[in-house]
Amino acid sequence: MSAAGVIAGREFRSFFRLPVGWVVIALYAALTGVVFAAGTLQPGGVATMRDFFALSAWLMLPVTPAISMRLLAEEARSGTLEALVTSPVSDAHVVLGKYLGALVFLVAVLAPTLAFVATLWLVSDPRPEAGPIIAGYLSLVLLGGLYLAVGTLASALTSNQTLAFLLTFFFLVALLLASGTRLDFVPSWAQRAFYAVSIQRRVAEFAKGIVGLGDTVFFISGAACFLALAWGALESRRWR
Amino acid sequence: MIKAAGIAKSFGRVRAVRGVSFAVEPGQVAGLLGPNGAGKSTTIRIITGFLPADEGTVEVAGFDTRHASLDARRSLGYLPEAAPLYPEMSVVGFLRYRARLFGIAPRDRARAIGAAMERCRVEAVRTRRIGHLSRGYRQRVGLAAALLHDPPVLVLDEPTSALDPSQVVETRELIRDLGRTRTVLVSSHVLAEVERLCSRALIIAGGTLLADGTPAELLRRHGGPARYVVEARDEGRKAEPALRAVMGVAAVREERTDGVWRRLAVEAGTDAPDLREPMAAALAGAGVAVRELSARRASLEDVFLRLMRTADPVREHAA
Repeated sequence: MSAAGVIAGREFRSFFRLPVGWVVIALYAALTGVVFAAGTLQPGGVATMRDFFALSAWLMLPVTPAISMRLLAEEARSGTLEALVTSPVSDAHVVLGKYLGALVFLVAVLAPTLAFVATLWLVSDPRPEAGPIIAGYLSLVLLGGLYLAVGTLASALTSNQTLAFLLTFFFLVALLLASGTRLDFVPSWAQRAFYAVSIQRRVAEFAKGIVGLGDTVFFISGAACFLALAWGALESRRWR
Repeated sequence: MIKAAGIAKSFGRVRAVRGVSFAVEPGQVAGLLGPNGAGKSTTIRIITGFLPADEGTVEVAGFDTRHASLDARRSLGYLPEAAPLYPEMSVVGFLRYRARLFGIAPRDRARAIGAAMERCRVEAVRTRRIGHLSRGYRQRVGLAAALLHDPPVLVLDEPTSALDPSQVVETRELIRDLGRTRTVLVSSHVLAEVERLCSRALIIAGGTLLADGTPAELLRRHGGPARYVVEARDEGRKAEPALRAVMGVAAVREERTDGVWRRLAVEAGTDAPDLREPMAAALAGAGVAVRELSARRASLEDVFLRLMRTADPVREHAA
């Protein structure tokens, strides 16, 4: 197993040994449960989870920074970072391992929501289409991956977990608001730029069952950019 | 071996390390000694590759820490100060993680972990959570992690700082044993620790290496002139002039008087030979009864304090 895989494995397991991991799972299950019960599970309604997935850009906002805030910030605060980066592992593997561990944990956080799919499947006639649901879950992983990459960068910039949480949360809120709202007071080129990075628009496409190559590349390349910045932030101790 | 050549490091305008050079050979336990803020931790961090040097080079087991960083790190076992560990993990879980991180083959892992736990005496707490362990146990788990991959070079930052006296003795014995075949660099600000543990001392202050040698060499070079204590029945006050007349005696002063017994401190001049025999003869010739005549051995502490006084202008300049 590569060093990144070893780090990812430790990171993933550590979420289940810490209260924060279980709180995140419970928080997300509760939030999505309310949305599912209130918005999707309607007598006589169409059997679709489109609204559930479309809202996920906002639902994931408090959850992903709570996962990512400790990735590197806690290592720096507790001093374990020194032992980690002086082991025969490159800084890039450290960042990648931490990120992958968090991403796999995010999949575990999403897992309980499959109960909503099962419920919808059992109670609706006709049954919901599988395609949009699979695409919707793909969008959750891609979206969560982007959010976690932003959080990994924030966690690499500070040794304070709270600060890492707040940096991630407010950056994502600002991004969602700027790219999802019509801002008449900004120049047209800026409006076009915000539209280009619109997260809600892309998630809505996935929720319809449309898996666009451009949208997929957007999420993956966006995550890669933030991870590269996190790597740079970790490396920066060498020239600070 | 560890070879540092002219390493320097600044943080902004503060020059933490300035042109430090030394080499530690296999089979040596070297102590890096200095007061707080002397540049010990920065030097250690440069050697372990955590920080790059602004100037100079470091080789660990023949690998340049800048250009062959991963090979150098593979050859190094490092115990950082205060042994930072993951409190949520079990001892054996943590050691398994470190073994994987260092690429120890699966078939060798159990043996390596067992050997490290046995050497550092942590088998009794193998399934306990690290966060529930005493600081002494945590320190020993950190040491076990540093030994897991059987590295030829060990860097230990304050390895006995949290241990109780019996654990200190055991850990010193372990480090001495490891030092028979490995290169070991121990950082400490406890003088007695370095004196008892290390075959060699590197004294650093103000980011500058002030002295480098075996404790005996340092005592000879920096211990200052020899000192003697004489306790004599000296009602006639003849002892002091008799001692002053001995060739090589630089100063005599009275330490205390206890009835008819006077205790005198004698300081020899630089390069004077052992003066006990001529002093005994002089006192006998003066008819003075002596109940003690002994050489007062300088300690590493004397050397350290002397060097710190010498280095003060450098330190003030550094600040």
